[in-house]
Amino acid sequence: MLSLSFLLVIVAALAVAGYFIAKSRALKVADGDIRSLVSLPSQHALNTALATIVPPMAALLIVSLYRRLSGNADFDLTLIILLLAITGFAFSLIGIKVETRARTLAERWILGLLIFASTIAIMTTVGIVFSMLFETANFFQQYGWRDFFFSTTWSPNFRGNSDLGIIPLLWGTLYISFIALAFAVPVGLFAAIYLSEYASLRMRSVAKPAIEILAGIPTIVYGLFALVTVGPFLRDYFASPMGIGQSASSVMTAGLVMGIMLIPFVSSLSDDIINAVPQAMRDGSLGLGATKSETIRQVVIPAALPGIVGAVLLAASRAIGETMIVVLGAGAAARLSLNPFEAMTTVTVKIVSQLTGDTDFASPETLVAFALGLTLFVITLGLNVFALYIVRKYREQYE
Amino acid sequence: MTKSSLLAADARTKKRNAAESRFKAYGFAAICVAMIALVVLLLSVVTNGVTAFQQTYITLDVVLDEDRLDKEGNRERADMAKVTTIGYAPLLRDALLTKIAELGIETELSERDVGDMISKEASATIRNKVLANTELVGETVSLDVLASGRIDGYFKGRVTMQSAARDANTSPEALELAQALADEGVIVTQFNWRFLSAPDASDQRPEAAGLGVAILGSLYMMAVVLCLALPIGVASSIYLEEFAPKNRWTDIIEVNISNLAAVPSIVYGILGLAIFINFMEFNQSSPLVGGLVLTLMTLPTIIISTRAALKSVPPSIRDAALGVGASKMQSVFHHVLPLAAPGILTGTIIGLAQALGETAPLLLIGMVAFVREYPAAFSSDAGLFGEAATALPVQVYNWTQRSDPAFVERASGAIITLLVFLLFMNALAIYLRRRFERRW
Amino acid sequence: MEDMIHVDRAMSTQQDIKIKAKGVQVYYGDNHAIKDVDVDIDDKTVTAFIGPSGCGKSTFLRCINRMNDTIESARVEGDILLDGEDIYDPKVDPVQLRAKVGMVFQKPNPFPKSIYDNVAYGPRIHGLARNKADLDEIVEKSLRRAAIWDEAKDRLAAPGTGLSGGQQQRLCIARAIATQPEVLLMDEPCSALDPIATAQVEELIDELRQSFSLVIVTHSMQQAARVSQKTAFFHLGNLVEFDDTDKIFTNPQDPRTESYISGRIG
Repeated sequence: MLSLSFLLVIVAALAVAGYFIAKSRALKVADGDIRSLVSLPSQHALNTALATIVPPMAALLIVSLYRRLSGNADFDLTLIILLLAITGFAFSLIGIKVETRARTLAERWILGLLIFASTIAIMTTVGIVFSMLFETANFFQQYGWRDFFFSTTWSPNFRGNSDLGIIPLLWGTLYISFIALAFAVPVGLFAAIYLSEYASLRMRSVAKPAIEILAGIPTIVYGLFALVTVGPFLRDYFASPMGIGQSASSVMTAGLVMGIMLIPFVSSLSDDIINAVPQAMRDGSLGLGATKSETIRQVVIPAALPGIVGAVLLAASRAIGETMIVVLGAGAAARLSLNPFEAMTTVTVKIVSQLTGDTDFASPETLVAFALGLTLFVITLGLNVFALYIVRKYREQYE
Repeated sequence: MTKSSLLAADARTKKRNAAESRFKAYGFAAICVAMIALVVLLLSVVTNGVTAFQQTYITLDVVLDEDRLDKEGNRERADMAKVTTIGYAPLLRDALLTKIAELGIETELSERDVGDMISKEASATIRNKVLANTELVGETVSLDVLASGRIDGYFKGRVTMQSAARDANTSPEALELAQALADEGVIVTQFNWRFLSAPDASDQRPEAAGLGVAILGSLYMMAVVLCLALPIGVASSIYLEEFAPKNRWTDIIEVNISNLAAVPSIVYGILGLAIFINFMEFNQSSPLVGGLVLTLMTLPTIIISTRAALKSVPPSIRDAALGVGASKMQSVFHHVLPLAAPGILTGTIIGLAQALGETAPLLLIGMVAFVREYPAAFSSDAGLFGEAATALPVQVYNWTQRSDPAFVERASGAIITLLVFLLFMNALAIYLRRRFERRW
Repeated sequence: MEDMIHVDRAMSTQQDIKIKAKGVQVYYGDNHAIKDVDVDIDDKTVTAFIGPSGCGKSTFLRCINRMNDTIESARVEGDILLDGEDIYDPKVDPVQLRAKVGMVFQKPNPFPKSIYDNVAYGPRIHGLARNKADLDEIVEKSLRRAAIWDEAKDRLAAPGTGLSGGQQQRLCIARAIATQPEVLLMDEPCSALDPIATAQVEELIDELRQSFSLVIVTHSMQQAARVSQKTAFFHLGNLVEFDDTDKIFTNPQDPRTESYISGRIG
């Protein structure tokens, strides 16, 4: 059997050849006068090239998927691909006549490709859901779902008999997200208000890009910042002197750094939402003799509230799904505690640690990561759908 | 109601104005908090990491002793390769001892400890050099070899006399000797090109660790993302924006795309592990899988910005093209797409920048592996981009997991490199936007 | 000529001038929007500003309670005196000024709050009510005076945005008079309303004349003729003519006014 890459080169070469042959053939059919043709030679050429290359590619995709799913390798892929390429090549060349509508044919191929591209987003979602569903089902065959959802201990054990309760992980996740939001929402909201209602043009031209830089910094940078700077600082100046913690990794460390990460997210969303409140509303309040801050607090914010709630929910979903900051800043110990200066762990941290270890892939200790992933996906998806719904409803109100 | 003058503020107005200034101050404070956070973050990274671009070297005249390196005396590479790096280490130690003796520096250090001042990596470097040019044997070559991590740390202020006293790998005497050698110009600090080009090094050799493989891996992945995400993203945007009928199916795709944009990145890692590695059996740790995962992750960003760019082209352009008899497809490809190109490009670059900094999904598809071989873009057994590699952000994570604090410097240095790439990409995006943006 | 102006001024002083504008210029960036306007606005009178769109009538109206302050590029020169006090004096707090000079806008803009809270907003921020009962009374009185009490009394807790356009505009008027202003500025208050709602609002304006000085910008000459006692005609940023309404509509002095009244420009 020919190697696949070689085969692809052959098909591509055939398509290129088809392009030029079709072009000259169309000219010949027209006796050199392209005005007599319904479609231009270049459109015939495009049609032939696409007819040669698209069907074999589609076949390649479908057949390899089928083979992988059924484990059945009886198909001679090489033969199918070559056959399809030659058929498309030959038929499109034979079809070149004066009255052939090659443009319509070529555009049909292109439209097909466009439609295929737009389904990739759907296939991604399906892939996400299925990849996690199957392994999660495997996991629940080996480990009871009640224990997973309701047990309060998380202690995986390489020799088996692990406790894999999600509650301490969820607790850590929510606690850290709460601290992050408690920091980011007021700061982000006030920053947005200041920038849109008070700041001078010059101040805005400096502060706005600066805040946007925060948004462009990769999370691994925040993670290192938590690990190297914020963690030790909090331990040495707060936790240790107050006698409430000895660990540099803590809920507070991860929460604060995540809060910094979320500031630009909250502020840019709030900015959009505050700007969507009609000026007439502001004028109405100012015209009654209200001060700017009274207008903002009593008219603009209440009017923008649904949008702001949506923004906060989106930020919460971000915080819950964030990985690198918690991997480097929160710690690895699953713990149910209220002390924010203690190390705790999150769902995402455990997904990373269970899937990067050297454990057997079929063991519940590894498979639990998929159940965790699915839980995470469901929570964040729920938050997103709800938040996007609120934001859209809010936008419609002012359109 | 009593008449009050406008010229004097009454008590209530004063109170209200005070509340106004307070409110404004909160807003200003919020801006300050954000700015301070940004400055502290950047300062912390830069101060920790800038020293990674400097490296301490020892200038030595190494006698490449024939008796030790080429016992057969035939300059055959195969025979000489039997001498391992352990065989080269004494040459370097002797060279350093000779230097110390020449300069007349007194030290209480044992010969072994003096040898430990040279990086373990140095003997590998010199061995490669000799094997590459066997004629060097028997000669004396002048070389700058890597100093050990602790000596390097001493010159960067990370290792002090106090910390050395508690350290099993070095001693205050070694630092004193190093200082004396530096005074004589034997130990020098140079710009660390190796940091950008060398592959990763093991736990014990932070001084040799570099970003070569990681940068290469990141570049390969960016190539994959660019080649897949851009055409797929543009094609699907064109369909959704220009051709798709407004129906249930299109709605589903739209909602789906906005949700995909908000799916946590780690979930894409799980997808990559389950689909690309377990199901499709692509190579673990390969830039191909990394690139595919990042492609799926970046696709929503690119689609959203491309659709915005297409939407901003006024309908009159389409009407004009259709009016002279172009087909819908022609009006899109000949007119709308070129006009939307700057916006699409900007969105793509920003998407690529996001992908370049992404870490979490890559951890799950095995890119944390320790890779010392430069991956080839194509090889016959691994295919296109199939050889194991790491990526810049993953290398940062990797180094944070090592025990030697010298790796913190390396990790911060890697971040500086990453941020420079990102800065460049974003600057390019801003330039493109400024240069080509068209207001209708 | 000199004498005539003196006589004129003397006469109007007797009529109790509320607002006196002298040499007012307004610039939006480089655009000279209002050119040297002098106007005296009497107390307990409805003064109408008419003119083609873009003539500066709304701009001038917004100068009277300094709403132009909210537009960054706007610059105002000249004097506007309210009861003899310059409202552009640096010591004047625009917030206090706007409590005295209320404003009703072109499009009804009720806050996304209940009807009650909409009306109570002004009294609350200005501290006009000592207690809840006081506030209730102010709200009821304002809604009654704005002729919307009957429609709103059973749904005071319902959002103001749920009312019809005409009701919303009367709610906005109620909201403005609840602050107990001395002057009420109305910027084309009926342009977004249907004829029935317009008639209701016009009737209301006539009643309000008993207690306030009203300034109304309008697009419609008929409306100016119906509701106002004094009319000012603006054209291209100039105040062309200012006189009793009857006189403007029956015997205009300036040919431009005449052209506008008769429909030849506008």
